[in-house]
Amino acid sequence: MRIEGSFVVAAPRERVFAEITNPALMAGCIPGCEAIEVIDPKTYRARILIEVGPIKARFNLVVEVKEEAPPERVVSVTRGEEGTRASVISSNNELVLVPAEGGGTEVKYVSEVSVTGRLGKFGLGMMKKKAEALGAKFAENFRGKIEAAAAS
Amino acid sequence: MTLALSINGRIRHVQAGLSDTLLTVLRDQLLLTAAKRGCNQGVCGACTVLIDGRPQRACLSLAANCEGAAITTLEGLQRDAGMARLQKAFTATGAVQCGFCTPGVLVSAHALLSHNADPRTDEIRAGLSGNLCRCSGYRKIAEAVAEAAKEAKP
Amino acid sequence: MSVPGYHRPKSVEDAARLLAETDGARCLSGGATLVAMMNASLAEPKAIVSLAGIPELAGIAELANGGFRIGAMTRHAATAADARLAGTLAVLRDAARQIANPVVRNMGTIGGSIGFADPAADYPPALVAANAEVEIVNAAGRRRVAARDFFVDWYTTACGPGEFVTGVHLPPPRPGAGLYRKLARVSGDFAIASVALSAARDAAGVSVRIAVGGCGPRPIRADAADALLSAKFGDAAAAAAAGEALAAAADPVDDVRASAEYRRLVIPRLVAETVAHARAALEAR
Repeated sequence: MRIEGSFVVAAPRERVFAEITNPALMAGCIPGCEAIEVIDPKTYRARILIEVGPIKARFNLVVEVKEEAPPERVVSVTRGEEGTRASVISSNNELVLVPAEGGGTEVKYVSEVSVTGRLGKFGLGMMKKKAEALGAKFAENFRGKIEAAAAS
Repeated sequence: MTLALSINGRIRHVQAGLSDTLLTVLRDQLLLTAAKRGCNQGVCGACTVLIDGRPQRACLSLAANCEGAAITTLEGLQRDAGMARLQKAFTATGAVQCGFCTPGVLVSAHALLSHNADPRTDEIRAGLSGNLCRCSGYRKIAEAVAEAAKEAKP
Repeated sequence: MSVPGYHRPKSVEDAARLLAETDGARCLSGGATLVAMMNASLAEPKAIVSLAGIPELAGIAELANGGFRIGAMTRHAATAADARLAGTLAVLRDAARQIANPVVRNMGTIGGSIGFADPAADYPPALVAANAEVEIVNAAGRRRVAARDFFVDWYTTACGPGEFVTGVHLPPPRPGAGLYRKLARVSGDFAIASVALSAARDAAGVSVRIAVGGCGPRPIRADAADALLSAKFGDAAAAAAAGEALAAAADPVDDVRASAEYRRLVIPRLVAETVAHARAALEAR
């Protein structure tokens, strides 16, 4: 399934790029993120808890950065599982930063996500809605952090 | 951990964990293998048994929750005259192909005829709508049930 | 003799206390959803609180005001067979009789079903159309929530941690019609889209409540749709406009049953068809 969205941050592109590739900051913005670990400059491990109704799924993910073109673009691949491989997830992600009016930055993201296993069977349509809701929450959190820091 | 379940008129003592279903206990411990594990989700009907006289899914019944209920499997209906008529009609009509769905269908059909001795074809189909058959296309099954109903009339 | 982790309390208060105090406990009604999820490893409760032994959760009782209280453990077969749910309340009977198949209807319960709040299930839009209230209990006591506020999001209800549904309250039945129509791939499937309609008729005219199921996180309703249908019941243009209003309010997904686009297309047609049937039912009286 394809998850995409965009949001505008009142901060210049260079700043946004630095923060969006900063694992310590991202850990605080991704809803349900319990831990992020830097394995090497291009590889991160993350543990994310996602709840859908009565189902709680703890995802163990590895994110590999494939391409980085500051301050415009990051291409990465995510692979992972939950429930001891009860579900397997993989996604190809692209993040693009575009200058917005008034000196801000528009953050655009696209992910092609594939989920197989027990969550894949549950109802992919509804998972897409959940993923979009998580994306919106992430945007809110990220914007909040960046704009608060800029104001201080 | 031991449970006392009433199965086909006898108390049987079985071991069950919290997540063990009646289907698992019937098949694996009591070797009452008429009820089949088809989908294990309650959709296909191959596990249909009678609980307190009503057709229900053994795969959706936690064994621990079945203490105190009267469970009847197809094995327990072998001396029932109505079931005998159904089995004879199924064989004569050709309503059995691979046989996997058959026990569940027979239990549902038995329950249907117990409440409606002379069902129309649409009532038969509605009454059996909880049993899937991948082989037969259902027509022979409905004919067999109608035939068994006819045989019951004095 | 019993199984560790399995509890069968005799009162609602005991059940609420057990749920609050026992780590990883889930309550068990008919098992049609929970046990299926356990079989698929989507739920792994550490304890089960069975509601089967609690008398006040069983049965449909008439209330002093002429309405009804459906106990949470009432099986779909019993709800579908209860002739007292007539007139405007018939929408609930019509929905119950279309749930799954006769065997699952002997097992599934209204409390379990609405507690799970599958967006494609049959009771949620019917409860909204019937103007029902849901009775919830927790360790501190009971409360009631209007059906339209009970279904909050995908598989999410107004029940908080440790809370569960004890019953559904229905207002007194009024003369009129109550219908539930479902579009599904096969008999007994969850809805691609469904419409629940309750139309009360008196000397002043017709008062309609309509809700759409299977097309969003919650039953879809629109004040404009209710108003249009009440003002001009049976008028094709009004039904079309109501259908469009409901389709615009919908938030459907693409899933294995249908695409979001198909659902949006189908809503006005299903609304028009349901209104036509309701009108015929009213005229037949």
